[in-house]
Amino acid sequence: MAQFIQFALTRAGMAIVTLLMVSLIVFSLMEMVPGNCAERYLAFKNTQGSQITVADIEAEEKRLGLDRPFLVRWGSWVGNVFFKGDFGDSCILRLNINQLLGDKFLLSLGICLTSLLFAYLIAIPVGIISAASKSAWLNGSLRFISYLGLAMPNFLLALMIMLFSTVMFGDSMTGLFSKEYRDAEWSFDRVKDFLSHAWLPVFILGWSATAFALQTVRALMLDETGKLYITAAKARGLFGRKLLWRYPARHALGPIINSLGFDLNRVFNELPIVAVILTLTEAGALLLESLARSNDQQLAGAIIFLLTASIVTLNFVTDIALAIIDPRVRKSVMGG
Amino acid sequence: MIETLISVKDLTVRFKTDEGLITAVDGVTFDVKPGEILGLVGESGSGKSVTAKSLMLLNADNTVYDPKSSMKLNLHDQSIDILSLKKPQDQMIIRGGAISMIFQEPMASFAPAITIGDQMVEQLKLHSNMPDEKAKEISIEMLERVGIPEAGKRFNQYAFEFSGGMRQRAMIAMALSTKPKLLIADEPTTALDVTIQAQVIELMKELVDEFHMAIIFITHDLGVIAQTADRVAVMYLGNLVETGTVHQVIQQPAHPYTQGLINALPNLEDLDSPLTPVPGDIPSPLERPTGCVFNTRCSLSLGERCEAEVPHNFNVAPGHNVSCHLMEQRMAANE
Ligand SMILES: Nc1ncnc2c1ncn2[C@@H]1O[C@H](COP(=O)(O)OP(=O)(O)OP(=O)(O)O)[C@@H](O)[C@H]1O
Ligand SMILES: [Mg+2]
Repeated sequence: MAQFIQFALTRAGMAIVTLLMVSLIVFSLMEMVPGNCAERYLAFKNTQGSQITVADIEAEEKRLGLDRPFLVRWGSWVGNVFFKGDFGDSCILRLNINQLLGDKFLLSLGICLTSLLFAYLIAIPVGIISAASKSAWLNGSLRFISYLGLAMPNFLLALMIMLFSTVMFGDSMTGLFSKEYRDAEWSFDRVKDFLSHAWLPVFILGWSATAFALQTVRALMLDETGKLYITAAKARGLFGRKLLWRYPARHALGPIINSLGFDLNRVFNELPIVAVILTLTEAGALLLESLARSNDQQLAGAIIFLLTASIVTLNFVTDIALAIIDPRVRKSVMGG
Repeated sequence: MIETLISVKDLTVRFKTDEGLITAVDGVTFDVKPGEILGLVGESGSGKSVTAKSLMLLNADNTVYDPKSSMKLNLHDQSIDILSLKKPQDQMIIRGGAISMIFQEPMASFAPAITIGDQMVEQLKLHSNMPDEKAKEISIEMLERVGIPEAGKRFNQYAFEFSGGMRQRAMIAMALSTKPKLLIADEPTTALDVTIQAQVIELMKELVDEFHMAIIFITHDLGVIAQTADRVAVMYLGNLVETGTVHQVIQQPAHPYTQGLINALPNLEDLDSPLTPVPGDIPSPLERPTGCVFNTRCSLSLGERCEAEVPHNFNVAPGHNVSCHLMEQRMAANE
């Protein structure tokens, strides 16, 4: 147990170091854009008719703390992010980023994680059973469904569903909320409304994610099934379900868990295009917008940081899960 | 007392492959007596593992057993027709019950994420209805018996925490925990270094006496066979070309292939003497030679007869059998 806590603490430390590195990179990228926030603010004021002098710019830089050295500014940005969860202001939109993001990031992350959850809830048992089954019919149809999921671009699926629902029900099923709930406070009805919309992006993202996970699980299972320890277990008299779940399935689980962090990244990357088509105003789409249209580095930086932080956190969780199920990970990494 | 424990007759094993049906074992016949160590030798690909796995019906799903094949397991209260065991429940007697198997790679034969102890207890409980504590007690006793120090602690460890020799000992402990009548050891010492190999072989010989169990010992190494086995069966391309006592086969090899194998052994007395391996390579099972399977590599081939006619298996001395046209001719000439 002490070993395990040591392992978890080491991993947590590594995760924090990773996050700090990421924040440094993100912050440097934000800084690399020519011109600083002070100049932008004043340039904006200028367009409103005020006269601007160099002294004004310097005063504004002082007010914003931009005259401090790079590392100090990074430190204060990181400090605000880590301890207050405050990403500062977007100097293009002149709004606080936390306000701007609102629930959007969490909603997007929620959609992605839910898609992944469903994907794995389906893919793990189905993949295991299909790897163990000799039914050509079962494997044929599964292969067909997952090739469809892998081959059909998500935007096409989204468009098809929209078209279909518009024609059939006269409702295009876009957005994450109905009009009346869009800016309302969270309430039971708003949750219900959200869920009635959210299943569609979850379904679209989840299909390809399931198809992908299914292929992974099946391949890993077939790989394990061919190993000598399975023959050895059979030679000891094991058979049927006991053999399947305790031997190949249990040992395939490690690599499956390992692929989760990577999958979250993949699903999040696919989210923007689905979001644009379904006109969901969520973080992925916001990221595209902030990068492409307005060059809003503070906003983009915040979103990239949040996404990386989610992936690092998920990786931390999967590392812990791996250590729980695989003694080799537990014992080797802990150096005992 | 049972006369023969295992009686294999005309065992013929084929595999369905994309290239068609290939024959891996062709008409193999042998017996194993209780408490006897039978050495099975032959080059890589000669069908030793396939023969051994047949006894536990462990060959892959693409296996076809020829209907004339027969494998009998004689226990004191019953005689079991192995090929008629279709249901997994019925097969348990030949899988870890009366027959156990150990493999060349002890590391790969243990499930990596399950403790050695759990795997041992699992097997014991599968073959009896003893409670957990009893199974654990027996497992630890077995680990101690095969010479694993601190067996109680080792019980809770994983295969990757054992050294190579210890793993093979643990594998033997697990295989013997259910007190099988036959142990199949498929190159159990090939992956070990020589001193450890000697220890493991010594251990197996002790256990044969103690448990009054028979062993089918598979190896490439005639030297190991000479130290270990009571009788030897020499396999070539799916055929048993010669069987006899260790003394007969090693001192008076009758088949040109066995003679070749023995000549190929390095001579430690005379290090300058040239190595004389059996010429050529073992043919692919897809291109099995007609007639005698060894004729393509035999320096003593009689030509046409060996290429066309499958040799009979005949007796050169009591308990010493060989399949070779040349030997048959010589025998006939002597009479
Ligand atoms: N499932 C299978 N499908 C097709 N061919 C197979 C299958 N299993 C074994 N074989 C073939 O059967 C032949 C005999 O194999 P086997 O493993 O018995 O050889 P072996 O004598 O044990 O050799 P080695 O000393 O290398 O272990 C080989 O040519 C092998 O390729
Ligand atoms: Mg083999």
